[in-house]
Amino acid sequence: MQIEQAFDGLAPNRRTLLKSAAFGLFAFKVAGADMLLSPAEARARRAALSKLSAEDAARLEAFGEALVPGARAAGLAHFVDANLARPHGESLLTVRYLDVLPPHHTFYKAGLAALDAASRAVLGGPFEGVSAAAARPLIAAMLPGTIAPWTGPPPALFYLAVRSDAADLVYGTRAAFARMQVPYMAHIEPATDW
Amino acid sequence: MKLPERTDAVIVGAGAAGNLYAAVLAESGKSVLVLDPGPAWKSADLISSSIWSRRLRWGGPAIESTGRHAFGAGFNTGWGTGGAALHHYGTWPRLMPSDFTMKADFGKGLDWPISYDDLRPFYDRIQEEVGLSGDAEAEVWRPAGAPYPLPPLQQFAQARLLARGFHALDMKTAPSPMAILSQDYKGRPACLYDGWCDAGCPTGALANPLVTFHPRAVKAGARFLNGAHVTQLVPGKTARTAAGVEYIDSTGTRRTALADMVILAASTIANPAILLGSTGGDWSQGAGNSSGLVGRYFMTHSIASVYGFFDGEETENYMGVTGAQATNMDHYGKESLGGGAFGSLQWQLAPTMKPNDLLGVAMARADLFGPELTAFMDRAVHHLAVMFGFGEGLPLLENRVELSDRTGPGGVKTPRVVHTFAPESVKVSQSAAQLGLKIITAGGAAQPWAGPMATAHMMGGTIMGSEARTSVTDSFGRSHDIDNLIIAGPGLFPTAGAMNPNFTNHALALRGAEHAAARWLS
Ligand SMILES: Cc1cc2nc3c(=O)[nH]c(=O)nc-3n(C[C@H](O)[C@H](O)[C@H](O)COP(=O)(O)OP(=O)(O)OC[C@H]3O[C@@H](n4cnc5c(N)ncnc54)[C@H](O)[C@@H]3O)c2cc1C
Ligand code: SF4
Repeated sequence: MQIEQAFDGLAPNRRTLLKSAAFGLFAFKVAGADMLLSPAEARARRAALSKLSAEDAARLEAFGEALVPGARAAGLAHFVDANLARPHGESLLTVRYLDVLPPHHTFYKAGLAALDAASRAVLGGPFEGVSAAAARPLIAAMLPGTIAPWTGPPPALFYLAVRSDAADLVYGTRAAFARMQVPYMAHIEPATDW
Repeated sequence: MKLPERTDAVIVGAGAAGNLYAAVLAESGKSVLVLDPGPAWKSADLISSSIWSRRLRWGGPAIESTGRHAFGAGFNTGWGTGGAALHHYGTWPRLMPSDFTMKADFGKGLDWPISYDDLRPFYDRIQEEVGLSGDAEAEVWRPAGAPYPLPPLQQFAQARLLARGFHALDMKTAPSPMAILSQDYKGRPACLYDGWCDAGCPTGALANPLVTFHPRAVKAGARFLNGAHVTQLVPGKTARTAAGVEYIDSTGTRRTALADMVILAASTIANPAILLGSTGGDWSQGAGNSSGLVGRYFMTHSIASVYGFFDGEETENYMGVTGAQATNMDHYGKESLGGGAFGSLQWQLAPTMKPNDLLGVAMARADLFGPELTAFMDRAVHHLAVMFGFGEGLPLLENRVELSDRTGPGGVKTPRVVHTFAPESVKVSQSAAQLGLKIITAGGAAQPWAGPMATAHMMGGTIMGSEARTSVTDSFGRSHDIDNLIIAGPGLFPTAGAMNPNFTNHALALRGAEHAAARWLS
């Protein structure tokens, strides 16, 4: 029996990633053209989303912004969407640490739908339409799991996942370290943001 | 290039134990093939970014985790060359003699088939080989053993501030024993204290497999095949032999690697999962499972995290190493916490915190959001301090790795981890949180709080013992049931102690590998 050599079998994927995500960039489509962009640039250029609908994205941005101010402009929805489009092994989302079973886009979509339904029931309108101040009690009930009505993934898990994604973009970048006067001290510098 | 048709040894998993076995066996002249489903990571891949570092975690088929205290599988598993040890933190205390005799001493848990003294020479040799930094004398709790080859790592303000509380309560602290170089050592450079260890240390200061046993294995001729997900053991001519392993390669093709000896080093979760999924030939209950204990006695450590602010001081919490700067083991005695708690406690003080990520500053108060989070971050990045109390989880039969209903590569069932701490173990963590609050307050911290109980490290599931009826392997990791099968990794531990497992993992693997090389197939 002959066994074929398959050394470095994952290398092609890895190289693609080194070219893109390692530099804080993802492949997005803008007006039909493929581009490597940061999540913030992708948002500014209204790049197409591949896993989330426009409605999901607006809701995710509103939720992320309420959790971690600055997340919307940092391109939270595009960051999440681009990672959801990757194979599980290449995702950079914290949800990977939280033992949420893939596919992860259903986790985000179901969480956003549950949040919206709760918002409509309690606050009388879609989540992205209510002010951050009005949404506070609803959001505060997620981590303790007392939010009602709720039909989706465990609310605490969904809260933690989105809060961490947002914190990555707002606090995990070199610019954020500099803003907070925390030395970055990289051994191997990420070429752009992180 | 072709792989050999057959090798002396096939090793499943290119992590900590797998690389050590590969080095020892290849150096003894055996032909060795190592299979791993993840990428062939190189030091140059270890970019300093918490976001980037997510890719170093398990990227294969999802592991389900359930139970009242579900184990954090996604965070605690690695993949690819180096395994979890590629991005582990290098905190390397030895187990204590009392960890080996818990059942004999207290009638609880299990006993090891060996004592601390059997393992001691292997601890001593490993620390010399990989370069441990510490202060053996200051560690008044430390069992007998050679002093560390290197002086302790440098400490920063966070460690000094936290130590104040311990000293105020007449408790001791000592520099943490770390597999990180305080000085240049054997061609590897000293640590720079930037705290990027969680993203993987690319300089070689931290003893990850890429700079310890992997180069030795490669130099001695071991072959590494990445993108190779092992699905099961292939039965040999009799129920007591394995012919090799089946794996799915990176093209999705099912292949077989034949070998005289099979070494399972695919982690505490994957080892039992592979055995349970190996139902060919006479192995109807799974390979090596005549005891019915494969997957059983899965253990983890509880973590009590205690935080506080030192507002007048710059805590430099971004400096140091991700593991710990100092330790205290005053409550390592199994019953020393009282109040119904049973099990050891180990404190680790002042790990580096980056602003984001699971162990980062923002997660320290997961309940805060909006403007309150912004205000918290402004204060915390310069004034927060943290210490972790690692608590022992007792070995319980019902805590287990089993097969789920989901399937992965080759249609093989994927693992599920079921875990609930014993009530005495929960009390260890609760007492640790209370004690920690007292300590940090005594040190002058403002507004201290304790985070929710978390889990770290994985042990058990393929425990060693002296009898085939009550354990899966002997003390060298040899299967009681299959003559040419060896199991490696912290899955062998019959008790977890409260110590980070990788030093003991290495000591056991060295003992097992040398034994295998010396008495090949006899
Ligand atoms: C974030 C983190 C920090 C840690 N810090 C410390 C610390 O400070 N001190 C300490 O003592 N310990 C620490 N640990 C634990 C330590 O890393 C582990 O105990 C150690 O790596 C276990 O060694 P192992 O060989 O059993 O598994 P690993 O090193 O994880 O290697 C297992 C390998 O098996 C491969 N594998 C899995 N499934 C298959 C399959 N089906 N086929 C083939 N190969 C497979 C994996 O890809 C992986 O490469 C830490 C762990 C983590 C995750
Ligand atoms: S702090 Fe030290 S051990 Fe950690 S990554 Fe930097 S040099 Fe390596």
